[in-house]
Amino acid sequence: MNLFLPLIPILPILAGTFIALAGMRLPRRISSLVASGAVAGSFIASLCAFFPYRSPASLDLFRWLAAFDLEAPFSLYFDPLAAVMCLMVTFVSGIILVYSHAYMRGEGDYARFFSLMSLFVGSMLLLVLAGNLPLLFLGWEGVGFCSYGLIGFWYREEQNADAGRKAFLVTRIGDMAFGVAIFWLFSLCGTLSINEINGMAALLPAGVVTAVGFLLLGGAMGKSAQMPLMVWLPDAMAGPTPVSALIHAATMVTAGVYLLIRFFPLVGLSAEACAAIAVTGGITAFYAASCALVQRDLKRILAYSTMSQIGYMMLGVGCGALTAATFHLLVHSFYKSLLFLGAGCVISALHHEQDIFRMGGVRKSLPGVYWPFLAGAACLAGLPLTGGFFSKDGILAAVFARGGFLYGSLYCLALVTALLTVVYTFRMVFVVFHGEGQAGAGTSRLMARVLIPLALLGLFGELINLPEYLGMGSWLGTFFLPLTPAGHSSLSPVLELALQALAAVIALAGLAFAHRRYAGDRWRNRPEFIAPKLAVFLQNGWYFDALYRTLFVRPFERGAGFLSRWVEKELAIGGPDRVAEFTARGGELLGRWSGGRISPYLFSFAAGAALLLGYLAWSVF
Amino acid sequence: MIVPLSHVLILAGILFSLGLVCLLVWRANLIMMLIGIEIMLNAAILAFVGGSAAWGNADGQVFALFIIAMTSAEVSLALALVVYLHRRKKTVDSDEFHELGE
Amino acid sequence: MEQIIFYILAAVVVIATLFAVSERHPVHAIIYLASSFFGLAAIFYLLLAPLAAVFEVIIYAGAIMVLFLFVIMMLDLGHPEKVKRPAFRDWWPVLLVSLVNLASFAVLTAMPYSGTPAVPAHIDIRGFAVVLFRNYGVAVEIISLQLLFALVGALYLGRRR
Repeated sequence: MNLFLPLIPILPILAGTFIALAGMRLPRRISSLVASGAVAGSFIASLCAFFPYRSPASLDLFRWLAAFDLEAPFSLYFDPLAAVMCLMVTFVSGIILVYSHAYMRGEGDYARFFSLMSLFVGSMLLLVLAGNLPLLFLGWEGVGFCSYGLIGFWYREEQNADAGRKAFLVTRIGDMAFGVAIFWLFSLCGTLSINEINGMAALLPAGVVTAVGFLLLGGAMGKSAQMPLMVWLPDAMAGPTPVSALIHAATMVTAGVYLLIRFFPLVGLSAEACAAIAVTGGITAFYAASCALVQRDLKRILAYSTMSQIGYMMLGVGCGALTAATFHLLVHSFYKSLLFLGAGCVISALHHEQDIFRMGGVRKSLPGVYWPFLAGAACLAGLPLTGGFFSKDGILAAVFARGGFLYGSLYCLALVTALLTVVYTFRMVFVVFHGEGQAGAGTSRLMARVLIPLALLGLFGELINLPEYLGMGSWLGTFFLPLTPAGHSSLSPVLELALQALAAVIALAGLAFAHRRYAGDRWRNRPEFIAPKLAVFLQNGWYFDALYRTLFVRPFERGAGFLSRWVEKELAIGGPDRVAEFTARGGELLGRWSGGRISPYLFSFAAGAALLLGYLAWSVF
Repeated sequence: MIVPLSHVLILAGILFSLGLVCLLVWRANLIMMLIGIEIMLNAAILAFVGGSAAWGNADGQVFALFIIAMTSAEVSLALALVVYLHRRKKTVDSDEFHELGE
Repeated sequence: MEQIIFYILAAVVVIATLFAVSERHPVHAIIYLASSFFGLAAIFYLLLAPLAAVFEVIIYAGAIMVLFLFVIMMLDLGHPEKVKRPAFRDWWPVLLVSLVNLASFAVLTAMPYSGTPAVPAHIDIRGFAVVLFRNYGVAVEIISLQLLFALVGALYLGRRR
């Protein structure tokens, strides 16, 4: 394993560097081949590291940071969480890179695209495998930067560059909280190694643990697009669809959840922090689901749905159900990337049309896309017996099992959100694929074929985490046993079955409503089923963008304008100008003293004499 | 001595100041400048005479005579200069003569 | 008695000089100045220097002022409206300077000085002449030479080309 572990992050990073340096001079196929090959190599390395896995292992590669007390070698840490994350990240990234070989066929700047994608995958793997905080932060920042570069990939249009900038700035706020947490943890524990910090967690005072928990939550909020730092995700859809699939479905947005799971021994000690995480997740899930109900842009629906599902994951983490949260993370990454890739097929087939109300009947023109997409939608909606059903239900059960007023109300909120999820998912499916519509061009066979493995994984993903009442035992649960916190309450099989039945009923009810409302062509008279004013409110994301603009952006702009005009132009630039002018005028005035005329000379003479006399008189006085 | 020497000297001082004022205020007019110089010289003569009276010496008066004689020489030269300058530029404005500066 | 006369004469001198200084017409200024010189001559007489008084009147008020008048008439400078009248911003720095001067004079002259003021002996013409020609004979010669220089210089400058 010592051989394979470093290969996992290094291969994509090397590939990315190589493509960045030499990609433009080589043919396009070389760049995409190198990128896909490197990620495939990482996947194989992950498999090779996974199969002989027995117990957590740490590998120090070389000395990286070392000064006084600060010791941070380049150390990789392989435990169950890192193992499954590596497998998922490399697998999904590999598929997406193969897909983008076909999707980005007509684009220029292909070397930039593939190098950024490879670097992104490498940073994500570094983040997942990091054994100490600086390395994790390195990966964290790396994915942030690559995300910025990829969102604003078509930077020549201003709104794309703006979207990239917005993503970077908003996540920066979370990164700041995370940075403060790192410094604080170092000053508290004297070490930056994650295992040691988790080990020392019990020794820290309760208030400090809560505060650090909140800071880590802040960092996770930024990267995972939870409230209140969620405004960047819908706009991030300005990037190419493979980017949305990779970054904003499977990998970067899950980094926040990963961080919280990784630090759960520390964060879980504080009930307030856990409650905060759960509340954040629950509210974001509801918010995003409500906004997705009325969106018209296909990718925005999927972006909001990502936000909502990550809310579910955070909710699970907040309740201490790490296994359920990780399970949901894995399955979600499969079906969400599937949905994004399918959306990419549809969009490119319809000549870059993204408004769902202008699509329709795609089922007939792209059957190869329809069936996997339907599978993914079923997982997202949580229809019974799909992987999505079991994963979402695992989290709901954990929330219910926590008990108490807060978690009880979060459970109800999560149920309502589940209903909304079904409705908006199938609204999307019916409007895009059913009914009558224009016939578009076909799609590449490669793009359609890669959807199939993802669909299978989504549908049958529940096999790795079967519920307990089925008696077969959950492989993922046992695999994660060292990580789950002690005292995790579990439900009786009957109760669990009842909850699952409730969730199934809700899913089917939502499906029936969506079918009644949106199948066929009746909906074209009145597209929305909500009151128009409410629809506009939801469509604009509850006007959070406008709120932030008034609260933060406008004062900042005004302050910057003020400083630019008054301080910089008048003082900093005008100041020296005026000093120079003043000096010149002074010099000119002085020059008049010794022109050729005798008047100044006379007066100076008299003044000098007066001074001398005055001094004499003063000294005698 | 009829008055203390300091009074005489103060009178001389006042006269000197007045002469200085005339010289400086009328910097633009050559004739008035010369008049100012005359006043100042007279103040000096008064100081000398006062000193001679205070110490019973004739030297002060001798110097008064010298000053008067020298002044007359100086005035004649100065006025000759004024005539010459007036012939050149048709004015007695001292500001007009600034060729020595740049 | 003589004290009062002295102060009156002092006032006359100062006032006449003031008028002379602030007068725009040069001829008027010269006339005021001449009257000031007359007062000054009277003061000299009171200070027991009759020779100085006489010389003041003859040479100063008589020759020098007349010379001024000659030149003014010759150059036709008697038109006060053509003269640049000094404004107030010319006056006040000068007044300031002269005030400083005056204050310094006052302070310095009020200082006690050494030397016992002897009883002044009336200096007659004979005593004056003795001092002049015995102690300062060389100076007399030099001054007469100086008058020659002035004559030559004035002739040269006043030449018409």
